[in-house]
Amino acid sequence: MATVSFRGATRYYAGNDKPAVDGLDLEVADGEFLVLVGPSGCGKSTTLRMLAGLEGVDDGQIWIGDKNVTDMEPRARDIAMVFQNYALYPHMTVHENIAFHLKIAKMPKDQRDARVQEAAKLLDLEPYLDRKPAKLSGGQRQRVAMGRAIVRQPQVFCMDEPLSNLDAKLRVQTRTQIASLQRRLGTTTIYVTHDQVEAMTMGDRVAVMRDGLLQQCDTPVGLFAKPRNVFVAGFIGSPAMNLIPARLSDAGVALGGATIPLTPAQKAAVTGTEVIVGIRPEGWDTVAASEGLPVTIEAVEELGSDQYLYGSSEAEVVAAGEDVEHREAPHPIVIRTPGMSDWSRGQQLGVRPRTGAVHLFDKETGNRLPDA
Amino acid sequence: MSTTALSSSSTGSTGQPPPRRKAPRRPKPAPGTQRISPLRVIGLTVVWLFTAFNLLVLYWLIMAAFKTPLEIFREPLSLPATLFERGTPFRNFVYAWESAEFGTAFLNTVILVAVCSVVIVLVSAPAAYALSRLGVRGSGPMTAFIAIGMGVPFQTVIIPLFIAMSEIDLNNNLFGLALIYVALSLPFTVFLLTGFFRSLPDELEEAASIDGASATRTFWSIMLPLARGGLITALILNAIGLWNETLLAIVFLQENANFTLARALFTFYNAASYQSEYGGLLAGVAIIVLPMLVMYILLARRIITGLTLGAGK
Repeated sequence: MATVSFRGATRYYAGNDKPAVDGLDLEVADGEFLVLVGPSGCGKSTTLRMLAGLEGVDDGQIWIGDKNVTDMEPRARDIAMVFQNYALYPHMTVHENIAFHLKIAKMPKDQRDARVQEAAKLLDLEPYLDRKPAKLSGGQRQRVAMGRAIVRQPQVFCMDEPLSNLDAKLRVQTRTQIASLQRRLGTTTIYVTHDQVEAMTMGDRVAVMRDGLLQQCDTPVGLFAKPRNVFVAGFIGSPAMNLIPARLSDAGVALGGATIPLTPAQKAAVTGTEVIVGIRPEGWDTVAASEGLPVTIEAVEELGSDQYLYGSSEAEVVAAGEDVEHREAPHPIVIRTPGMSDWSRGQQLGVRPRTGAVHLFDKETGNRLPDA
Repeated sequence: MSTTALSSSSTGSTGQPPPRRKAPRRPKPAPGTQRISPLRVIGLTVVWLFTAFNLLVLYWLIMAAFKTPLEIFREPLSLPATLFERGTPFRNFVYAWESAEFGTAFLNTVILVAVCSVVIVLVSAPAAYALSRLGVRGSGPMTAFIAIGMGVPFQTVIIPLFIAMSEIDLNNNLFGLALIYVALSLPFTVFLLTGFFRSLPDELEEAASIDGASATRTFWSIMLPLARGGLITALILNAIGLWNETLLAIVFLQENANFTLARALFTFYNAASYQSEYGGLLAGVAIIVLPMLVMYILLARRIITGLTLGAGK
């Protein structure tokens, strides 16, 4: 077992002056499950491939434990990787696929077979050991790929969107299986995904990336409760947080007739005249349309246990005092209400941010304003 | 929704066996694909005419190999009779085999073609792998350079080749001919296999490198088995080409003991037509054509396109 540490790791791709990963500093503790998450092209896969040794590191260093692996070949790094499309060897049986590394490492056959059996048992693969990958279902192939990783007992697991080829139901099952397997084995794991639900449910910590830059690395709760900037706020949480630009006045920020007061530290931190108010769908109290921020419901999403109202409101722009020419399009606002509530399209209601549910960001920089 | 589910399951359990459903013999094609267009009609006609013509030629050849010259000219399309009535149906084959020394030539050809095809693929596969996948500096221009070799008609280099081979005493020598065969077949085979290796997925190589396999090991245990379809294709194409090769064999082989089948047939042609042994001549042609036909029918099935199936997803 080992720690992983990225120290200013940078990766350029040919013909692009903007690095795919830009000076990444990240420390992963021994036995930790770290999830790298971000939109397509944010550099999360490149980061993982640099760790695995499949990509060169143009600048900075990568350490596994007390070894600098920056210029080491993949096979010298003692890592295992699960690929998005599993990359099983199609001409080998499941047993041969799982045992391939051990065979190369010249482990005696009886020991090797014991290890494969053990891994197969852990993953319910025993009946399939003699089959070729083409004869397996998607979920079984995924487990073979996992088996190939765990049989090595490596220092670090690298997983590159291993669930994205499974159907929705299997993905949820496998998600918890992988997470509990990792806790049981205690192997340091770096897991790449673009699915923020996967990130939030699986990781000990989640690192959010965007355009090659690390935005925030924190526990799922930390990310959710205190997003460091507008990007993280909008990316984490489903449906996304409502981000409403509002003008700053002496009293604070006016939103839907109510005023959110700013602390002196927050006022000092604002660089422009506007802030972005972030409120999660569950952070609203619904009131009569005449009170609070008036919202017209445009769509109702009924999930049974919850209900999401998608609506729009022009009021806050009016409140911000902009003239009509510069007014932005009505902001869609999402509100969570209890499931099976009696809302329907076209209705009007008023919403008011719940105390403690307001996140404030500077509009110019996008950074979170200090909380106190 | 729940009531319909209930009722349908209850009818299933109350004894009435569900009506036996049978798939149509030919599934209905997608709308619009069966429309008769002029292109389709012309295409079908040409393909069928071509196929029919080839089958007819093959039929004529095989039948004629069992006929007397008289039958060949009088009843070109009928079934052979005379030789069967005489009780010596394989007379033409025996004649060709014995008087044209086809025995030695057959052995020569089998060994030459087998060795050459295998050597060509053994040399081309690592070359193609290196050119297409190892990211060697200048691999693009090098591949292009090798491809130029395909554009040079070998007839134009026969005279310099002959002089060169005479200089090193490899003229009238099967080993010498084998060298020429291998050299002349490399450009096409390397080119064919680079395309094939390039189409293999990158992840398998990456997985192998993480599993600890060296480049050589990755090539032998992962990439080569995956490229099996391509290797077999290359093997078959080369074998057929070399089996039928005549010009180089005529130029470079002078002694009967060294003759390949195509070369022996060329000599036999002169003798047989002088003696009006057309049945024997066509039996000789059949001896050359049929093994390749059989091999093609047997091996063509092994060009398995779906071999990489199951690597992903």
